Amino acid sequence: MKLSWRELTRRPGRFLTAGVALTLLVLLLLILGGILDALIGSSTGVLRAQTAPLIGYSEDSKGSLGRSRVTAAQHDSIAALPDVHEATGLGVAFLAGHVPDLAEPADVAVFGYEAPNMRVPAPPAPGQAYADTSLEDTGLAVGDTLELGAARTPVEVIGWVSDTDYNLQSGVWVEPRTWREALNANIPDAAVAPGTFQAVLVTPEEGASITDVAAEIDRQVDGVAALTIDEAIAGIPGVEQQQSVFTSIIGTTFAVAGIVVALFFALLTIERVGLLGVLKAIGASSRTLAAGLTLQALLIAGGALLVGGALALGLAQVIPDAVPFQLSAGRLGFTAVGLVVTALIGSALSFRRIVRIDPASAVGGA
Amino acid sequence: MRFALGEMRRAKLRFALLTGAVALLVFLILFQQTLAGSLLGQFTGGLANQSASVLVYAADARRSVDGSRILPQQAAAVADVAGVAESGPIGEGSFSVRPSDGTLTDTTIFGYRLGGPGAPTTLSSGRLPATDGEAVASAQDASKGFGIGAQVRVVPGESTITIVGLADDAEFNVQPTLFVSYPTYEDLVRTTNPDATAVLPNLIGVEPESGVAPTTVAAAIGSEVDGVEALDRDTAVASLPGVSSIQQSFGIILGLAFVVVVLLTGFFFLILTVQKTPSLTLLRAVGAGGGFLLRSLLLQVVIVIAVGLAIAIPLTIVAINAASSGGFTATVEPSTIATTSVAIVVLGIVASIGAMRRVARIDPANATARLAGGGLA
Repeated sequence: MKLSWRELTRRPGRFLTAGVALTLLVLLLLILGGILDALIGSSTGVLRAQTAPLIGYSEDSKGSLGRSRVTAAQHDSIAALPDVHEATGLGVAFLAGHVPDLAEPADVAVFGYEAPNMRVPAPPAPGQAYADTSLEDTGLAVGDTLELGAARTPVEVIGWVSDTDYNLQSGVWVEPRTWREALNANIPDAAVAPGTFQAVLVTPEEGASITDVAAEIDRQVDGVAALTIDEAIAGIPGVEQQQSVFTSIIGTTFAVAGIVVALFFALLTIERVGLLGVLKAIGASSRTLAAGLTLQALLIAGGALLVGGALALGLAQVIPDAVPFQLSAGRLGFTAVGLVVTALIGSALSFRRIVRIDPASAVGGA
Repeated sequence: MRFALGEMRRAKLRFALLTGAVALLVFLILFQQTLAGSLLGQFTGGLANQSASVLVYAADARRSVDGSRILPQQAAAVADVAGVAESGPIGEGSFSVRPSDGTLTDTTIFGYRLGGPGAPTTLSSGRLPATDGEAVASAQDASKGFGIGAQVRVVPGESTITIVGLADDAEFNVQPTLFVSYPTYEDLVRTTNPDATAVLPNLIGVEPESGVAPTTVAAAIGSEVDGVEALDRDTAVASLPGVSSIQQSFGIILGLAFVVVVLLTGFFFLILTVQKTPSLTLLRAVGAGGGFLLRSLLLQVVIVIAVGLAIAIPLTIVAINAASSGGFTATVEPSTIATTSVAIVVLGIVASIGAMRRVARIDPANATARLAGGGLA
């Protein structure tokens, strides 16, 4: 092990190729992951924020909040089911948000809601709103009046909430009447009647099975389909496609990283066959030599992670605003674990060659 | 040639691993390019391939078709602007549709005044709608129950639409897309949302008078009509929300992937050349010309990349077919493969310049310093 470490520190240039290639691959993996996380995060925030485990949509809406309509009567029917503890309404209106002193309006998703959730307090008074921190960059401040849509429906921002965006638009949370007013005034073709929401969030009674309650809603409430929050997130248009596309690309990139490590250590082993034969002749076991090789692979992967991670953090500062990008600790951890596993597998491909080295080749082998 | 191939045959493992890495990286590039191209096409096709040369949005909409609503007085004012030959309403919305195979499908529906601006321009079979209740569908969704003659039902409600034509590259928002008459569109909005208080067009489609450029008319509308923004078709397509994000995101990813391919190929051949320097020096000393060694190196670079491409291209086709099994259909364009292949070969050769310089600088006299060759150290 000590020998491997010394070789690495005394002749770092020898390991530069693998190091540079792996660093670039780490950077690529982090960029891909960061874009995916930002896309998914800003498309699903409203659902991830919910404490209620179930959400009821109109059955023909395919889980699209914009197309769903749950009437007051359907809402009451859900609330009246024996295993339902609470059923609260949720609606959304995608509008332009006119921020004071800002020439271009921001894209906002105005949510009308009846009950607090993990990230948003209880509904504010009519005409007031909690705004998502993603709007802070626009210069919006607490106390400002945000005007919604062409009708310029005014709401006063009274506080910030975070990670509540939907469909890549910044969340603005208001009580139901304010939401209906803004929706009906700005998008008359999407107007809703008093008491109607686009979805109903359902909390079952303690001890009741979530799936049983969902099935009960499907059976008992005509025209409503209940989904778990996870099912609803997966059903948001584009989420599944984005995940499968980016996961394929990330998987392929890991495979390339594995091949780079395998290629490099295969070359290194071929180059050092004579030297390794001498080491074996003086008593080093195949296991020791393989462990040294593994250590080198891990150290190169670790260095690539550090440099690639730093480059990704630097790139995050200069990346254009149009590119959604969010580098999380979870993504860094996933990439680190993935790269270490890939490096181990890649380097292990040279073990067979090490085992096959004959110590006798040290005699006159040069 | 025999020399280059002979060396590759004897060092199968190292060349196979390099070729494998290049193949996977090229696959990564082709896969991403195809996905990005298909995604953009299906995101914007419905707007790019309709007949209105100028599209008028509500100024508040930030160039989003979904977010735009045009008031009746604005529509009337647009029609009166000098240079406007014809204008008409264009409605657009996402609906739940049951095509003939019964699967509930997210579908974009465009409504336009029949014979007016907004008609699909890439009709590949059938005909344009002649009356209410008929539609042209995006051709790539014909097999999903949107073929000619199919009757699709828009839910909730009982509205039925008959497909009478198919148009190429006509998807919008990566969904099957239908083009219907504007009254049909209005009926669908009211049927699916009985609470709707009015149905306003999302856009006004404009056809300029003969000889008047779309950009000129767009500028005139923008300055004369309050609360609207007019764009020529190409600008409207390029400005759709998400288009720039997709282009820039994939641009960064592809750029990095190209850099990795180039560095990997370049470093590999450089290391190989450094390792072989004593042998190459000896070859030069016994009469092998510098040009011969350079040609051998170049041949190896081209072979590695060519084999990598030969593996990557079918792999991309298989992967794209697999990725297309869901709601998103991607198509491998031969032009994408051709341009990427040429770029990879050229960049691979450029990347090996370092190794070539090293070969060119080999001095045959150094062979006399080789102990193993009987020289003096």
